[in-house]
Amino acid sequence: MNAAPHPHERIRLTGTPVGRMVHIAEFGDEIDPLQREQLHAYGLSAPHPVKVLQQQPMTVILCDHVELALEHEVARHIWVVAG
Amino acid sequence: MAHAAPLAPAPVPLCTLALVGHPNVGKSVLFHRLTGTYVTVSNYPGTTVEVARAAPRFDREASLLDTPGVLALPSRSDDERATVRALLEEDMRLIIQVGDAKNLRRTLNLSALLAELGVPMVMALNMCDEAKARGVSVDGTRLAEALGVPVVETVATGGEGVGALTDALARAALPAPLLQYDPVLERAIARVATAIATHCPHPRLAARGLAILLIGRDPEVEAWLARQAGGDAVREALVELTAAVGRDSVPARLARERSGAAEALARTVSHQAELHDRTLSQFAARLAVHPLWGWPMLLGVLYLVYLFVGDFGAGVLVGLLEEDLFGAVLNPAVSGFVNTHVSPPWLADLLVGEYGLWTMGMTYALALILPIVTTFFIAFGVLEDSGYFARLSVIANRLFAAIGLNGRAVLPMVLGLGCVTMATLTTRILHTPRERLITTFLMALAIPCSAQLGVVLGMLGGISFAATLIWVVSMVGVLLATGWLASKVVPGRRVPLVTELPPMRRPVLGNVLKKTGGRLKWYLIEVIPIFLVGTLLMFVMDRTGVLPWIIEAGKPLVSGWLGLPPEASAAFVMGFLRRDFGASGLFALQDQLDMIQAVVGMVTLTLFIPCIASLMMIVKEQGLRTAAAMVALIVPTAFLVGGLLNHLLRLFA
Repeated sequence: MNAAPHPHERIRLTGTPVGRMVHIAEFGDEIDPLQREQLHAYGLSAPHPVKVLQQQPMTVILCDHVELALEHEVARHIWVVAG
Repeated sequence: MAHAAPLAPAPVPLCTLALVGHPNVGKSVLFHRLTGTYVTVSNYPGTTVEVARAAPRFDREASLLDTPGVLALPSRSDDERATVRALLEEDMRLIIQVGDAKNLRRTLNLSALLAELGVPMVMALNMCDEAKARGVSVDGTRLAEALGVPVVETVATGGEGVGALTDALARAALPAPLLQYDPVLERAIARVATAIATHCPHPRLAARGLAILLIGRDPEVEAWLARQAGGDAVREALVELTAAVGRDSVPARLARERSGAAEALARTVSHQAELHDRTLSQFAARLAVHPLWGWPMLLGVLYLVYLFVGDFGAGVLVGLLEEDLFGAVLNPAVSGFVNTHVSPPWLADLLVGEYGLWTMGMTYALALILPIVTTFFIAFGVLEDSGYFARLSVIANRLFAAIGLNGRAVLPMVLGLGCVTMATLTTRILHTPRERLITTFLMALAIPCSAQLGVVLGMLGGISFAATLIWVVSMVGVLLATGWLASKVVPGRRVPLVTELPPMRRPVLGNVLKKTGGRLKWYLIEVIPIFLVGTLLMFVMDRTGVLPWIIEAGKPLVSGWLGLPPEASAAFVMGFLRRDFGASGLFALQDQLDMIQAVVGMVTLTLFIPCIASLMMIVKEQGLRTAAAMVALIVPTAFLVGGLLNHLLRLFA
């Protein structure tokens, strides 16, 4: 069984267990600048909390009552900290 | 309930007003409420891709615009660009920002930019019912104080708050800025804004707002600047701007700071109560994108649509109309009347002969196609309103990755099953020209419109399930193979999918019927003249000997290669006008076709040249050269695939 991450430990959004509430920490450099703007527009900015709803076939998160689906290629470069 | 801004200025003279907001927040519903003009509304982002305009009920001299939803400004996609173009080019006196009450932070993110444009504003905080159901409450009075504009809570679908919104327009005010950017950005904004104010001031929009959009690299504002005489001085000021500082680009930094300001204000004026109830719609929403259960759900939905459209529409209703009403009652009566009263035999033949305007044109349009498209539009409207289509993008994303697209392309393609012409316009929601080009090409090639789909389901479903399955597998195979090839040929890279999933809702019967009625009206207006003109052409070609010549000349291709009876050439001639017209021609020949011929004929006709209206739309969206190249690829591909399928099936038959 996976141990719960330390409260301040940064993990990838794709590595976050389903059902967990986390806070956005940072976007990796790999994310395209336009897509970074798009993420901000959807409200994904540090340190906003999001809840992970599912990881397959895409990462689906709940952010302010809005469900967002993120392809793994983007979600894996979003760093979060445990809520 | 309306919340007045603290300082009520003098009433604003109305001229052009615009509804501006995020996608899928209810702008088009509100537009309908305020003007009485119906524009298509759906439960997914991207329904409106062009600006709609009508005179509002409260002032018939004014003009109200329904703009496409903007995820964020500066604009990035074509539909967002259409909104910025409207802001730049219209005599904009007032902006009604339509916001989502359950997602105030995102609403305020957009307010932070709109507030800089120097146009009086009112905020319609819509979907308050959904916010309440999720335990979200917004202090409208405090929000109005913070923004400096009236804030009106609305539920546009139920008409709540619309009267208060109309009253609030007279109190529209210039919004207070939501933030000050960091000093480096502020200096840059001030420099560019001064250059704009000095060299090319906009008649309505504030120089500061335009400067922020320019620094954010908004292509529409850049295009506007290029048209201004004093634009060079502004461009010089822009060049002086430092490049990205730290990890973020300048546009991303601007977006991040707006986001921070929006979050701070949203936290101050809204409250979230603890809620643990899970509604049925939330359960269905989760199921639709579930990695395992999403697929059975999709198959179940497709099967229900097949039962309703293919079985009930193309079977029961077509049987009632084509055989019982037209075949047994109307056509004999009309033929009898015409043959008795119309004297030149050729004229009687033109009306009720083999290629008669009534016996072929009207019978195909009304008895064959109309019941099929009616049932299809109803099923389509129900799925649209439920929010299911947007969720398809999640489970289809991996499949679309194989053809260089992402799941967002599902929406235009599914809409293409309704009408490829309108769906071609919807490709504007896609983010790159590459995605738009590939999607448009695939729709023109392999996505049948509702009428054609209905004829296919009606004809092949009547033969056997295997025939329908071969057709489906062939179409999906061609779609994937040509998509894969196109993704290798068209330059550019694939953009990973990041998308919003709108909540699933119970479809509103009135909206579904209204949409179905609107689509049927549009269908009849477009289809009946084309069917009649097509029938006339067929009649003339038959009388002048051109059609028999085409049938004879087409024998090697139609009979030799495709294995169809020579008369099927006529269906391909009809298919040049509309694919469903051609499919109807093949449908009429069904007694002469075996299973393989029916499948091969339908596959070839489905892949055949898109209808005239679609072609015109492709020319509009992609240009004449691209449209011509598509046609040059599509026609040979249709015959190549049809012939290969014919030989393959005969090999195994």
